[in-house]
Amino acid sequence: MKNRGLRFDPRIQFAMLALPGAAFVFVFLVLPLLSIVVFSFWRTERYELIPEWNLENYRIVLTDPTYLTFLLRSLVMATVVCLASVVYAWPVAYFIAKHGGRYRLVLVLLTAAPFLTGIVLRVTALQQILGPIGLVNMALMTFGFEPIEALMYSNVASAIGLVYLWIPFMIVAIYLSLLNFDFELLEVAKVAGARPWRAFLEVTWPLNWIGTAIGIVLVFVPTFAATVTPRFLGGPNGSLFGNILEHQFGATGTWALGSAMGVVLFLVSLAFILLIGRTIDPKRTGFTGIGR
Amino acid sequence: MGDGRRTSFFLQALLLAFLYLFLYFPIFYIAFLSFVENTTWPFPPLYTLEWYSRLAIMSDFHEGLFNSLLIGLGTGALAALFATAGAMALLRYPVRRKALVALLYLGPLFVAEVLIGISTLMFNRNVLGLPGNLFSAILSNTTHALAFAFLVVLSQLVRYDWRMDDAAMVFGARPLRCFFEVTLPSIWPAVLGAFLVSFLLAFNNFEISFYNLGAVPTLPTIAWGTLRHGIEPELYALATLVNLAVFVALLLLYLLIRTGLVRIGLPED
Amino acid sequence: MTPVLDLQAVEKRFGAVTALSEVDLTIDRGEFFALLGPSGSGKTTMLRVIAGLERPDRGRVLVEGREVTALPPYLRNIGMVFQDFLLFPHKTVGENIVFPLRMQRRSRAEQQEQLAWVSRLVRLQGLEERYPHQLSGGQKQRVALARGLVSRPTLLLLDEPLANLDRELRREMEVEIRRYQRELGIPFVYVTHNQEEALTIADRMAVMYRGRIEQVGDKLDLYMRPETRFVAGFLGHPNRFSARVLEIADGRMLLDWNGVRLRQERRFETRAGETVELFLKSERIRLCRRPDEAAALPNRVPGRLQDAIFKGVFADCFVTLNNGAELVVAATPDAAGIPRESPVTLAWDIADAHAFPVEQEGGGS
Repeated sequence: MKNRGLRFDPRIQFAMLALPGAAFVFVFLVLPLLSIVVFSFWRTERYELIPEWNLENYRIVLTDPTYLTFLLRSLVMATVVCLASVVYAWPVAYFIAKHGGRYRLVLVLLTAAPFLTGIVLRVTALQQILGPIGLVNMALMTFGFEPIEALMYSNVASAIGLVYLWIPFMIVAIYLSLLNFDFELLEVAKVAGARPWRAFLEVTWPLNWIGTAIGIVLVFVPTFAATVTPRFLGGPNGSLFGNILEHQFGATGTWALGSAMGVVLFLVSLAFILLIGRTIDPKRTGFTGIGR
Repeated sequence: MGDGRRTSFFLQALLLAFLYLFLYFPIFYIAFLSFVENTTWPFPPLYTLEWYSRLAIMSDFHEGLFNSLLIGLGTGALAALFATAGAMALLRYPVRRKALVALLYLGPLFVAEVLIGISTLMFNRNVLGLPGNLFSAILSNTTHALAFAFLVVLSQLVRYDWRMDDAAMVFGARPLRCFFEVTLPSIWPAVLGAFLVSFLLAFNNFEISFYNLGAVPTLPTIAWGTLRHGIEPELYALATLVNLAVFVALLLLYLLIRTGLVRIGLPED
Repeated sequence: MTPVLDLQAVEKRFGAVTALSEVDLTIDRGEFFALLGPSGSGKTTMLRVIAGLERPDRGRVLVEGREVTALPPYLRNIGMVFQDFLLFPHKTVGENIVFPLRMQRRSRAEQQEQLAWVSRLVRLQGLEERYPHQLSGGQKQRVALARGLVSRPTLLLLDEPLANLDRELRREMEVEIRRYQRELGIPFVYVTHNQEEALTIADRMAVMYRGRIEQVGDKLDLYMRPETRFVAGFLGHPNRFSARVLEIADGRMLLDWNGVRLRQERRFETRAGETVELFLKSERIRLCRRPDEAAALPNRVPGRLQDAIFKGVFADCFVTLNNGAELVVAATPDAAGIPRESPVTLAWDIADAHAFPVEQEGGGS
């Protein structure tokens, strides 16, 4: 009888339900991530990791101008893509949330649907439009115009591609935030004398900042680590930090250096997340929590 | 003021329409390309089914499809299971340290796929001494898909009234019986939705699967290989088939969400 | 005879909030018992502890003499009717009702037999194939009752079962529920925040406040002889005022209320010169148009009628007394016809008002 009662204890039921998944993530994600932190302080010799502790890998990643260029370029790329996504996603999410009515769910699912077809196929499709022999340039040439250089294998093409890939996250995040936003507050602001833009900046934006911030982080993380998009759309000067990172695990087999790059990639993303997190004032988000 | 409002309404609608065009035109364009012979400049188009028949006899394609399906099914099942249990735990029990648990479930959203890929590669190879295989690909795809599955279940389960379970237990249902007789019949659309989303994510995943599998093909790695060696039109056929399958699955998901709302007893919005 | 339910020093906390503290309660065979209290008083927590849905932090719960404190709900055979009915939306009425029997692995024949019996009892015949969303509120209520009763539990718990029904239906169901209880002889524990409901439906009752049982007993006893300030203030519609003790003799007190002399029972230790607080139920005051009508009653106070509001079965009369105070009187409805500003006399008996020592901290309503 004691035993049965124990099994009914809510804390034990909670643990039985929540721990398997949490333990799974810990073992198959957190431990591997920790392992590359360890490896990043080792060195590689002829495709083998040698457990000799040193800081050489970090010295290379953080001082070699080539790697620094890639790091910086990735950072700029991720920032630009985030900004472009925010600017584009906001009016779209706002429109769906406010005017979508009973079609809201369909409209938002339609923006998110392509995401599930996988990045390789999406980049393939985009390449057929933007690439050097893609639809746009072929059309221009067919009608006797010069092809647009910027669209062929360039950082601009990469940026367009990354927005194409990740804007669904931004839209869904902002949309979900707007779903819980009371649009009548805007009327209140306008009655109090605020013009539409002022009302947006004073009421809508701050109350939905947490959703926007989540969207920004969700776009930043994969963009900053992008490999496939720059490879197939970016051209000769389009390689990003992710490409140089994969390189260490492919042709060169410099595992330790690659691990250090992975750690740097993770730490920069983490720093960005924390930076964005600092801008959230829990008392001013209007967030009331989930569950009961 | 009224004019300004109308202008901004149409501007927003236009932006949405352009977004759909931006998102879907490439997808439909390669679907179109998959049916023509002159793929570089298909005007006027010369229709053919050649690419599909070539794809059908590609042995890599069969193996890749099979592997992708396995990874999708395995990941879908594991992720849906963990996500459902985790969401139930989080929503049902007044326990402290919920935030820590939620962080572990949602954390993978903030870890780039390529990092998941290389870190599991390194962990398997250098710590466990195992070569990557389908099994490890399923496991590390699950860590990634779990976050999405968790969000899907959570978004539906917040509407469920847990006192239903209290009622079932007072009337004699043990916890498992209660789950299968009362909870699951109400929440199954959410569980199936989570399965579907994780299935699709894993089925189409490139970066995680690639580092776990090396030379073992999946559909995305075949596509990647083809793309690398200069595009071959079979890839259009492949992409079109996958896209079609995804959209059928999403239609299903949409219907599920709607029945989910009905099931849990709330009117659709 | 062992009581059906015996709570011994039960305590339950949720974080910093004490939902139940030192609760002792026994419920006997065949009893209709009401738990009355304002929201947040701990009555629902108590029901959940009895059902096994919450485990008390301290104390013991005994059902028919057997300790069940640590026993999970599914092993207790206690029936329950929930506030929002909580019918399983994916099961038909019949499936909902036989659910407890299926959980007890009773045979199909027995399930059908009990279903027929209980459907007849709660008058639900012919609705067995419907789904809950096809039912009216009253029908859902009956299904919930049938599901609670079908396995003939040792005890039926009812958690505000009528809160979601409209007034008419509530009256009807109060009578119905009393009838089921009489016919089955199963003890019912009925939780409500509505005193009329509790007073109508139950035999015995407890008033709860801030996680404690303030008073338990026969319902008339609680109403007529409240033992705590809270119960005195909560039951009925009392007027509340303070008065000073002038004299004490023979278990009675003579009080001074702003120049008016009142006679009152003395039920606690007090001395002349101290102040006491009085609760005087508005429905126990007699409103007299001529002073001599009240000659038989010891407490008489003259005043003027300010307003009379017709309420159907009675009229609320607002009277300003000559000592400046204002009292509300629930008088017979014809009082609504008395002209405003008419002189009236208010009168009541010694036992109609309840005196308590003045408390520093303001508890009660």
